[in-house]
Amino acid sequence: MKLLLTNAGSYPRIGETPELQLLRRTQAALDRKEATPEALQAAEGALVKAALKEQAEAGLDLVTDGQVRWGDPISHFAGKLAGIEISALLRYFDTNFYFRQPVAKGEIKAANGRALLAEYEFAKSNSAKPVKPVLTGPLTLARHTLVEHEPYKQLEALVRAYAQALAPELEALAHAGAEVIQLDEPAILRQQTDFPILQRALQMLVKHKGKAKLALCVYFGDPQPLYERLQQLPVDILGLDFTYNPKFAERVISLGSQKPLALGLVDGRNTRLEDPAAVAHTLDRILLRVKGDTCYLNPSCGLEYLPRDRALAKLKLLAQIRAQTKGHK
Amino acid sequence: MSRERLKELCLELPLFPVTSVGSFPKPDYLTQARADLQKGKITAAELRALEEKATAFWIEKQEELGVDVLVDGEQYRGDMVAYFAEVLPGFQEGGLVRSYGNRYYRKPIIVGAVKWEKPITVDWWRFAQERTDRPVKGMLTGPYTLMDWSFNEHYPDRKATCLAMAQVVRKEVEALIEAGCKIVQIDEPAISTRVEELPFALEAMQQVTTGLPAYFVTHICYGAFEHVYPKVLELAVNNIDLDMSATAGRRLPLMQKDPFTKDISYGVVDSHSHLIEDVETVKTRLAQALTVLPKEKVWLDPDCGLKTRTVEEALGKLRVIVEAAKAARAQ
Repeated sequence: MKLLLTNAGSYPRIGETPELQLLRRTQAALDRKEATPEALQAAEGALVKAALKEQAEAGLDLVTDGQVRWGDPISHFAGKLAGIEISALLRYFDTNFYFRQPVAKGEIKAANGRALLAEYEFAKSNSAKPVKPVLTGPLTLARHTLVEHEPYKQLEALVRAYAQALAPELEALAHAGAEVIQLDEPAILRQQTDFPILQRALQMLVKHKGKAKLALCVYFGDPQPLYERLQQLPVDILGLDFTYNPKFAERVISLGSQKPLALGLVDGRNTRLEDPAAVAHTLDRILLRVKGDTCYLNPSCGLEYLPRDRALAKLKLLAQIRAQTKGHK
Repeated sequence: MSRERLKELCLELPLFPVTSVGSFPKPDYLTQARADLQKGKITAAELRALEEKATAFWIEKQEELGVDVLVDGEQYRGDMVAYFAEVLPGFQEGGLVRSYGNRYYRKPIIVGAVKWEKPITVDWWRFAQERTDRPVKGMLTGPYTLMDWSFNEHYPDRKATCLAMAQVVRKEVEALIEAGCKIVQIDEPAISTRVEELPFALEAMQQVTTGLPAYFVTHICYGAFEHVYPKVLELAVNNIDLDMSATAGRRLPLMQKDPFTKDISYGVVDSHSHLIEDVETVKTRLAQALTVLPKEKVWLDPDCGLKTRTVEEALGKLRVIVEAAKAARAQ
């Protein structure tokens, strides 16, 4: 079994040095009308490059752009769509992070594959390693949207509208060469009754992934109650958060997996560093039970919830864990 | 019931008392001074003098505007958790973490048993109270939020961490009361983070306030309040302070169904928007509130601390609240 190391999405957009605080300074200057949008873009680009470099140096095989340009996981994409207005702050799941809530005011119209492509192309052209685009999925977008447009008061209609807006983005990313595209759906762990709606949305979306592998990632909750149903979803890779339920790994070992897994065995939310030998032991036992030739080891969620030094330490830990597994490279 | 508590404490407040959630923007000279201290260009005493100047400015402005229950404006604090973590043994300073948009804070790391050794906020409360005859709130961060907004490398789990924080916060409350503080606000913005943890969050607040002679307020904002209501009414405080300007539409029906049994500090202006609401907007929001809430229970304030606004925006937002309160009292 090949075991690839990857990041689960975001990466800190700030650090302790003046260079790593460029984005914060530039955004603040822009707010005061003392900087231009071009200067902000350049600052974002500098922080994307720093994130790419740190991931590569930590030994990752598949990197992300750190979602450095994302104001938050919800409004960044939703805010680019006609029919949506961005409103007040709300807490994002059980994190200490707040997102701006989209309000569906009218019919959602897609950005025609142009919302995220430039971010991917920039990262790809500045990365020594393959880049994995990360998108928030239609259910999670819908579950965080305030609905004022009557036809979207049925959840499935709103999920479908977001999925239709995401479809051309997937197509464009796959066409541009993304080998793995990650779709985040943490909301399904909160509202498990939404499963049929998610399933139907994914059935539509997978038709647009081209040659790319689609990884569905669920986190910020215990996936155990849904694990067997998640296996039925039409995706290529299943990303799972192991940090909410210490018994979940045993469940996966017991049931096995019909799909390659992206294993969130390292806590992306707390600074405490896991014992690499203990994680490697669990990992070895899981990998024996997975069908497929490639799995992924990653933090349980994006790393923006940690300070930069600790985020980097978690990435380096992934490499230490892999080194202690029984020959999984 | 809470009006009786105020009377016991000899606090006479008008209908619709106007207050603030806690923080005010720092003037440019103070932001510069904090940076200069980091670079060793000024001394801690020089910074303190500027913090006092800024605090005095905000006390004066609140009085001028006609705010009824004042705050010191937290000119000497960076972040509501890190400020306490910096002085409490057991905490270690963490690196910068983003909270939203372009806002970052230093999320502390609990590396050992957390202990209260001496008063943390009392000097500043006293400094502010000496400058006004109106009551100044003592401002603390609650045990659940201290736990949730820190990394934990020491305690076995979240409940143990939270209850340990409660012991620390209670000692600070006792110190404030001993100094003469009668209204203590214990902020719990994190309380709706994990609904399943509400029982121990309630237990922790009980441990903080039980038997102590003060009027207690807690501020909760930008969370899934709907998920913890009405159970959250069991919090051992007299007044719950909520962001309502964007959420009234969905929260007031809940309060209609399950009556709000405590006083409420009702947020009537958006703390995160540059736009200063007009008085009519605030009056409309208050009128909407009074369709559900009894008028003697309602206090008015911004949705959250105003530290992210400019000084002019913060003053403008307070001004419209005071004007709306005066108009409502006159009716």
